[in-house]
Amino acid sequence: MKAMVKKIQVDFDKCTGCRHCETACSLSHTEKNCVNPYLSRIKVFMDPESGNSYPVLAGPYTDAKCTSKSFVVISKQKYNMCILCRAACPEKPFFFEPGTEVPLKCDLCGEPPDPWCVKWCTSEALTLLEVEEEVEEKV
Amino acid sequence: MNGWVGKILRVDLTNESFTVEDLDLDLAKDFIGGRGLASKMLYDEIDPTIDPLSPDNKLIFATGPLTGTGAIAGSRYMVVTKSPLTNCIASSNSGGYFGPEMKYAGYDMIIFEGKAPEPVYLFINDDTIEIRSAAHLWGKTTHETEDIIRGEIGLPWKGEQFRITSIGPAGEKLCRIACVINDKARAAGRSGVGAVMGSKNLKAIAVKGTKGVTVTDRDKYREIIRESIEKNRSAAAKVTSQALPLFGTAVLINIINESGILCTRNFQTGVFAGAQKISGETLADTLLKRKRGCFSCPMACGRVTETNDPKFEGKGEGPEYETVALFGASCGIDNLSAVCKANYICNELGMDTIDAGNIVACAMELYEKGFLPEKDIGFKANFGNAEALVKLVEMMGKREGIGDVLAEGGYALAKKYSHPELFMGVKKQGLPAYDPRGVQGMGLSYATSNRGACHVRSYLIATEILGVNVKRDPFTTEGKAAVLKAFQDLTAVIDSTGLCLFLSLAEGFGPDDLVPLLEVATGADFTKENMILAGERIWNLERLFNLKAGLIKADDTLPPRFLKEPMPEGPVKGRVCKLDEMLPEYYQLRGWDKNGVPTPEKLKELGLK
Repeated sequence: MKAMVKKIQVDFDKCTGCRHCETACSLSHTEKNCVNPYLSRIKVFMDPESGNSYPVLAGPYTDAKCTSKSFVVISKQKYNMCILCRAACPEKPFFFEPGTEVPLKCDLCGEPPDPWCVKWCTSEALTLLEVEEEVEEKV
Repeated sequence: MNGWVGKILRVDLTNESFTVEDLDLDLAKDFIGGRGLASKMLYDEIDPTIDPLSPDNKLIFATGPLTGTGAIAGSRYMVVTKSPLTNCIASSNSGGYFGPEMKYAGYDMIIFEGKAPEPVYLFINDDTIEIRSAAHLWGKTTHETEDIIRGEIGLPWKGEQFRITSIGPAGEKLCRIACVINDKARAAGRSGVGAVMGSKNLKAIAVKGTKGVTVTDRDKYREIIRESIEKNRSAAAKVTSQALPLFGTAVLINIINESGILCTRNFQTGVFAGAQKISGETLADTLLKRKRGCFSCPMACGRVTETNDPKFEGKGEGPEYETVALFGASCGIDNLSAVCKANYICNELGMDTIDAGNIVACAMELYEKGFLPEKDIGFKANFGNAEALVKLVEMMGKREGIGDVLAEGGYALAKKYSHPELFMGVKKQGLPAYDPRGVQGMGLSYATSNRGACHVRSYLIATEILGVNVKRDPFTTEGKAAVLKAFQDLTAVIDSTGLCLFLSLAEGFGPDDLVPLLEVATGADFTKENMILAGERIWNLERLFNLKAGLIKADDTLPPRFLKEPMPEGPVKGRVCKLDEMLPEYYQLRGWDKNGVPTPEKLKELGLK
C-alpha cells in the first residue's frame, strides 16, 4: 500500500558547517541534559580541501570493514566516499558512544517524526519532507 | 557542574609539567568566564608591569559557560594575556570549533606559564595530556601545522577528530601583531597574543573531547534556544538574518562608505571611489564559494573564497569587513583578489589583519609624503599599489627587510620615521575601519577601550549607523558617554559567556535574552542586575590592570588627525571628533576621578581592590 512517509533531506550546498544539528541531536538523545557531539547521530564532516561540509545521518552498524572503498566526485572535486557513508563501522571512529562503544543510529525522533536536528538547522541544509511511498502493510 | 565544566588546566612550560585545578565557582559567578574570569586570574597572578614577552607573562585560553552548549553563536573562546603591542591587558576572541572542543575535553580554561626550553605543542585527548615536541613544526604556517599534527595523529579519521589552534611564523618571530589561529581561519586576532605564545615556545594546542557539557534542564534550554533562533532569523533582525548570512561582514563596506566614514588612504578621507568593487555584494557575486558558520551559529558570516586574479592566486577564508576596509580602502586598493591574498597570508603566517592593514596604510602615507625612503622598502609603496600590499604583508610576517620594522607595529614604524602622528591607532593598536569624525560615540569608544583601538569592546556603529534597536545621531556627542558605558558593560558580559558579540546585532536582543540562557545553562542565580554589574566589574578590573601597567589619562585619546583635521569631503565634511566633550562625562559616569582612576567607592561597590 502507499502511505505518506517523512524523510530528512540533506542539501550539502546549503550546509555552513555550524554543527548545530549535532548539539541538538545529542541534547535530545541523552537523559543527562548533556550536549556532546560524540553522542550525536548526525555528524558534519568537513572536507579540508574545498571547505565544504557534509552532514551525515548515522545509519546501521556494520562489524566489518568495507572492502569496496571508492571515491565520489561532486562538482569536479574528488572525495573519499567514506565521508558520505552513513554506517558506523570499525574503520571510521564516529557514531559510537564514547566509553561503551555502543553504535548510534538516527531514529528520526519525534512522534510523528519531527527531528531536532532539522528544527535547529537555520541554513535549511536539513529539511523534513513528506513523500508518498510504497510501504508494507501492517498486520 | 552545569554550563561550566569545572576544571582549569595549568601548564608549566618551563618544567614541562601540568596540574588540573577546580574552577572557583564563586569567582566564576562574579566574573562569568571567558574574558572576565581569565582577566581576573591574570590580574591576580601576574605583575602588570612585567615584560609581556618574558616568561613571567601568562597566556590563558578561556571558554565561557555557554561555549559549546548549543546556545546560538556559543562558539567563542578568549586568549587573555598582557599584550606586547599595547602593554595593556589583551583579550582576543575567536570562534570556530576549538573552544567547544576544549570544553568537551573537560576544561573551562588552560593557563600557560613560563617558557618551554624547546618548541612544544600541547596534546589533549580528554584526560590524556602531553607536552610534545614541536621542533618539526617550527617555521610552518598555521595551515601546515594543523595538517601535520592531524597527519601524526592519524588520517583520515583520527586526526579529523582534533581541533587545533596554533601560531604561524609571525608568532614565532614575535611579530607584535601576531595572532592565534584555530581551524585554519578563525583568529584570536588582536593585540599580539600570538607573539606571547611564540615567546613561550608554544606552537599549538590540539584537543579532542568526548565528555560534553551539561545544562540544568534540557527542555527549558531547548525552548530558549528555539526562541533565540526565531528572534535571530526574524525579518526584523535584518543584520543577523539577511545581511550577515548573504554578504558576510563586508556588507558594511557600502553602508560605511555611504556614511562617509570608510577609512580611506590611512584615514585621510572617509569616502572611497572603489568601494563598490570591494563590497560584500561584489564578493558574493565573484569570489565567494561558500558560507561558513562557527560552531552552532546561524549567522554564518564566514566566507570561503578563491581569488580570480592570476597575480594574486589563492584560496582560503575571508575577508571580513575590517580586512577589506583596511587592506582595501585604507591602502587605496580596489582589487578584491589582492585583498583576499593579503588576508590568506595573514591567516597562514598568523597575523592580525586590522593592524597589518593599518601598518601598510601608514607605510604608504609615510612613503608618499617622502618620510619613508624607497631604498628602505626596496620598491614603490604608493597608495593603490596592490603588489606592494601583498609583499609588505608577507615581509611583515616573516620579518624580512622593512618587514622587520613593520612587525614592531604601526606606532613603532611611524615613530622611527619621525611622524608618530601618521599611525592611526590608540594605545599603539591600529584603528578599526570606521572614521571617528563621523561617529562621535565610536570615537569615545576607541579612546577608552581597554585593549587599545577596538570595535568589539563597544560597537556603537550598531546604534549610530545601523540603527539596531535605536537609531542615534552619529554626529552628536550628547548622551554618547552613557550609551558607551552600557555597551561596554554588556559586551564584557557577552565576551565572558562564550557567545558571539554579533548576536547583539539581532533586533531586540539584549540583556533579557542572556539571563535565562545563563541561568538554565549554569543553574546559578543570574539576574539582569548582577549580570550587568559583572560586566562593569570586568571593565573596571581591566582598567585597574592597565593603570598598574603604567597607562595614564593621556593614553585615552585619538590620533590628532581625528581631533584636528576636519574631514575633507563627503557626508561628514568639515567634522572632527569632539572627544573632549565626552571624555570627562564618561569618567564621571564610570565613577572614576578626573584622571580616569576608579574611585575607592566604585571599587567597593564592585567588590574589587
